[in-house]
Amino acid sequence: MQQVTWVDLAAMTVDNTVSHKLDRLVAASGAAENISDGMRVALKINTAEEGYEYGLRPGFIRTVVRAASRASNNLSIVCDGPRLVDYWKRSKANVFMEAATAHGYSNETLAGHFVINGGFSGDEGDLFPCGSTESILGGVEVGTVICRSDALWVLSHVTLHPLFGVGGALLNGGFECLSGRARTRLLQGLNPYLFNGARPDGAKVASFHQRALEAIHGVKASVDGRIFFINCLWDVTPQPEYYPFSGRPVMENLGFLASRDPVALDAATYDLMMARISDAGDRPAIDFTGVLKEAEALGLGSLSSEIQRLS
Amino acid sequence: MSDYECEPTKWQEMKAPVDGGRDGYQTKSWHPPKENWGPFTEKGPAPVWFAEANATNWTESMICKAKDLFYEAKMNECFDKGDEVAIKIHYGEWNRTAILRPEYIAAIVEEVKACGGHPYVVNDTTLSYHIFNSMAYSNYQLEGAIRHGYTDATFGCPVLIADGFSGEDDYRVEIPEGLILKETYIGRAVAEADAMIVLGHARGHAITMYGGALKQLGIGCQSKRGKYITHLAHWGDPHDAIGWPKFTDQCPGKACKFHQMCDDSCPRGAHHVTEHGKVWDPSKCRLCYSCQVTCIFSGMTGITFEENYFPNAMIAHADAALGALKCFEKGKVGYINHAIDVVPECDCFPWAGLAICPDVGLFAGKDLVAVEMATLEAIDNMPISPGSVAEEKGCKPGDDKFRMVNGFSPRITMAAAEKIGLGTQEFNLINYEPVLTPENAAKWQVRPGGKPTTVKLRETFHRHDLATEVMPFNRTEYSKDWVFDEWKKYDPFKGESA
Repeated sequence: MQQVTWVDLAAMTVDNTVSHKLDRLVAASGAAENISDGMRVALKINTAEEGYEYGLRPGFIRTVVRAASRASNNLSIVCDGPRLVDYWKRSKANVFMEAATAHGYSNETLAGHFVINGGFSGDEGDLFPCGSTESILGGVEVGTVICRSDALWVLSHVTLHPLFGVGGALLNGGFECLSGRARTRLLQGLNPYLFNGARPDGAKVASFHQRALEAIHGVKASVDGRIFFINCLWDVTPQPEYYPFSGRPVMENLGFLASRDPVALDAATYDLMMARISDAGDRPAIDFTGVLKEAEALGLGSLSSEIQRLS
Repeated sequence: MSDYECEPTKWQEMKAPVDGGRDGYQTKSWHPPKENWGPFTEKGPAPVWFAEANATNWTESMICKAKDLFYEAKMNECFDKGDEVAIKIHYGEWNRTAILRPEYIAAIVEEVKACGGHPYVVNDTTLSYHIFNSMAYSNYQLEGAIRHGYTDATFGCPVLIADGFSGEDDYRVEIPEGLILKETYIGRAVAEADAMIVLGHARGHAITMYGGALKQLGIGCQSKRGKYITHLAHWGDPHDAIGWPKFTDQCPGKACKFHQMCDDSCPRGAHHVTEHGKVWDPSKCRLCYSCQVTCIFSGMTGITFEENYFPNAMIAHADAALGALKCFEKGKVGYINHAIDVVPECDCFPWAGLAICPDVGLFAGKDLVAVEMATLEAIDNMPISPGSVAEEKGCKPGDDKFRMVNGFSPRITMAAAEKIGLGTQEFNLINYEPVLTPENAAKWQVRPGGKPTTVKLRETFHRHDLATEVMPFNRTEYSKDWVFDEWKKYDPFKGESA
């Protein structure tokens, strides 16, 4: 039974603001337990594309960055990788940084160094094995900011996702941590933008799930297993951040969940979401329970969890 | 929404992990050299524009003159509208004070944007160079850059590391034209740019004797791998040793109070102190200079450079500069040298000596070697700054200052650069002096084209006159005695003007 800690948005007071709640979540979930003095902690976030206006507020990220910096007694690094597809030239790091800055993601606002994972081109990474000999990938190239760090905190803005069902710890802590060419290899031609009539092939999507989940083994290996996950159930939109637009959020904000187990965390997140999204049209188009079961079968974590709720 | 197609990116060219080994390295990737690269000037002399370092009115501000030179030297023609324009600068080592002031960089960024370019400021990571280096890791380097005032906010564009987080985001560039190097490695933010404006800080350098625009290309655009090859790492063998540090018999071993610093200075653990000297494994060494700099600048003589190392390294860095230039079509690179704070050592040093001469000014042009030669000649002709190392070494105006201060003439580099096609040593200096007119005075001010601040303030004071509200101000009673005589009691010269 894995522990998932949930801090909800109830009982807001002057000394129990969202920032206070996030601090308490980090403390109560034991995020800093395997962090020691001088370690370099990388935080993987989701920066928003130009036109996507529901990105995670910089203040939330800053709170977690400060907690990581305190735990390590070292300035933490905040990172994201350039966009995968050159729709608006976001695969160029300079333009990617301009979009990030326009959304308020900068060194000044995030209280840590905001660096591009994979460098200017997104190609800078090292190869790490994906676990068992039965792996279909063998290994994946993890972006250098992450694989050259001592620990990784995956701070995910939970949204629906056109290929994965839900974008949370499993996607952001695996596929999203890879170099550009590794992500391209995992997609195998799948179009990540499902507008203007594009529809994914079911078999190709299922095959992508396996590759994306296997990638988490590589990411974990790159930081010697020192990985921690926080899911932000805040502005849960139908489209993920890399889209250049989004519809309205599909549910009310529920707060933040954290765990060392990405499967338990995403399962708990998904349960909370499904209990609140009544309109079938607002639910994920991809069966996320299947993704969760596959993740458990790959040894990435456990579907059963115990939720510790804080207010 | 416009129709969307899943466009292939450069990543889709590579379906599998990169093959290991130098022969397979990047064989499938994009090759940055342009077919029509080349020096801007086929035959000298090349024009170089100069603006002196002095100002007495609005138009003569160094920032205004930098903007004027940008257009005089036609740097606006280095790029087309929509081009990605790399602005190459040196971010400066931690605790370094003699660096380019952020205003010089912001000035050029502003004009690139005004002309429709998309600028971003770049520098590559460095090798370790010395024990407390802050530029080898990109996050450390950005901390230093922010401390120097180099930020997105001050420049108005992204501030990036050109070769990725760890200095491995590069392209290999073949340079068969090189005199020593036949290949080098260029940071991708440089190699992938459409055009580049190089803002050089003209000052000395411990290895290349002088560092200006050429060194920005020859070292500054090189990734870590590019810097290793340019340092001549492992060129020859450890016995003739040009590609390794020179370990002398002068090392006092553990009797040296810096011996722990010395041991810690190697990022590969290639040497360690013994009771009476050092043990060194040349196979681990990659010639990053860290042990040499740590030893020499601690005042010790145990680890130094081989004879003939410096001139060979100078020629190698001209070769490497060619590797960077080849990533651009002819005429797509512009150079501005800032002969300001002309100190003896590089911006990668964590300190700054006294300037060897007064500030000279700005040199701009599209021919790299011509810009460098004009800069060097002007610096050489300047007076010697009192108290500087140039005075200590007996320099006189007209001497080759950097040769006397650092050991060899930077003209070695320039001769090699000319030979391999980086430009011409012949230059035609065009002295630029702005004309004081109302239009020129207003041209580069805050809110150009808008109302002057004074006229704008009229609107503010019309709405709310903050001074009148509290007048009369409380002062001592007015008297002519005060105005004409009383103040003289406070003047050691009793009111006599100079």
